Amino acid sequence: MDKGANAEIINHTNSIIEHFFRHESGKIMAHLTKRFGAAHFELVEDAVQDTLMKAMQVWPFKGIPDNPSAWIMTAARNRVIDGLRRTNRQDNLEALPVLNEAEPEKQQVYTEDELEDDMLRMMFNCCHPGLSPDSQLILTLKILCGFGKAEIASALLKNEEAVAKALSRGKKKLADLENELEVPAGHALGQRLNMVLSVLYLLFNEGYNASHGYKLVRKDLCLEAIRLCHLLLENKHCNLPHVKALLSLMYLQAARLDAKVDENGELIPLPAQNRSAWNKEMISRGIEYLIQSAEGNRLSEYHIQASIASCHALAKDDESTDWRAILRLYDSLMEVNPSPVVALNRVVAFYKVRGAEKALNELETVASSKQMKNYYLFYSVKAELLKENGQLSKAKQELNQAILLTKNESEQTFLSKKLQSLN
Amino acid sequence: MEEYLFIFRGGDAREVQQSPEQMQEHMQKWMKWMEQLGQKEILVAGQPLKNEGKMVTSGGSVVTDGPFAEGKEIVGGYLLIKAANIEEAAEISKGCPIFDHEGTVEVRPIQSMEMN
Repeated sequence: MDKGANAEIINHTNSIIEHFFRHESGKIMAHLTKRFGAAHFELVEDAVQDTLMKAMQVWPFKGIPDNPSAWIMTAARNRVIDGLRRTNRQDNLEALPVLNEAEPEKQQVYTEDELEDDMLRMMFNCCHPGLSPDSQLILTLKILCGFGKAEIASALLKNEEAVAKALSRGKKKLADLENELEVPAGHALGQRLNMVLSVLYLLFNEGYNASHGYKLVRKDLCLEAIRLCHLLLENKHCNLPHVKALLSLMYLQAARLDAKVDENGELIPLPAQNRSAWNKEMISRGIEYLIQSAEGNRLSEYHIQASIASCHALAKDDESTDWRAILRLYDSLMEVNPSPVVALNRVVAFYKVRGAEKALNELETVASSKQMKNYYLFYSVKAELLKENGQLSKAKQELNQAILLTKNESEQTFLSKKLQSLN
Repeated sequence: MEEYLFIFRGGDAREVQQSPEQMQEHMQKWMKWMEQLGQKEILVAGQPLKNEGKMVTSGGSVVTDGPFAEGKEIVGGYLLIKAANIEEAAEISKGCPIFDHEGTVEVRPIQSMEMN
């Protein structure tokens, strides 16, 4: 009785949520790769692509099916089986029935738990130590998050060719590692989990630190990182304090995203942000997960960073922020991760507690690092401290010096504005 | 009101590798457009076409795989709508998302039994 498009017959009651295709593609890639093996990766990818294309062509005429997830999964699975039959690359194909796309309710061949496990497995595979962190991130974005090559290139400020190369290298590596792709257990699980967390942290920061200006796709990166972190927590082996701490950190920072840029897409630093634009729901979740993370005997970097973020989140404005607490937290963070960036942020907290003159001395200890010499925010902070200390002309000098070193337009704009405000 | 056939050619995003997000956006545009036609009660029928087929030629004696027309010319589907006249029908077709991907719409009046 398929009459196609007809005002009475097109089913308008079903709808699909935002990013549905993207999220489904990740789920299906994970499930079918597990089922048919990483050697058939390309086949699975093509099957998913063809399936989504078919949905795009047919659903407007026939309506969205009652169970769109099942429809897509079944159709993709059938395409993989067709592909395998064509190339004769799998035994026992007769045993695999081609399922009827029109009746997916009868074909519940997987459970929700199984799908989540498959996603987790795929996440762990994408973060295999045999791949560089960059490749791990690109694979995660492509396979788990369903981003296209151009979208990844745009998000990571790389050119498409570089992304394509990284992808084909990564996929080949996964195929080669086929036998090692079981999710590690015990101690090895902990190590791999830490790698996954670094990739999620990297993913989040790509979205958060929009140093080249804000694009909508960047916010999506933050939300993807949060989504995948939730997925980790749903697995009993990964439901650990430091994972909750990372999730807390991401929520607390993501809460500030809307206040981070002005109408021109330029960055607004934390002290100047309109706090009523901070997302209260996210702050609330961030605090909730921070509380939950306060167990066990291991203080991770994520715990400390989340705690710092919570100090800002709970403060009415820059002045009423508990800078002493933040300074203490940065002292702890320096023990775990003495990076120049952390040191610089600590100096800002130091200044708030002890004043500009003493902070300038602290800054000297950081200044010698090579990374600092080319870091535009270093000069911005130094100029700020000099200004507070009444040394206006020196402040201007620092900013001029910095502008010479900037790498992109956004940084230049930011520093030029600072310079203007000193005149 | 008369009936008009919309013949959709090209605009198949197959030519441009689209990401899942882009495909969803494009699909939702089509859905929105067709929903509007449905709400105005001018949508009569329509079907998408598979990208394969046969050509029967030479007096009906030859059957080959086809048509292998260029991407722009491949017919991807049709809609049958109601409009007051062909100008109105053409105007209605302008809202079709096929134009986002350089497709075309051929608008043809259905031959009626009217004696004029």
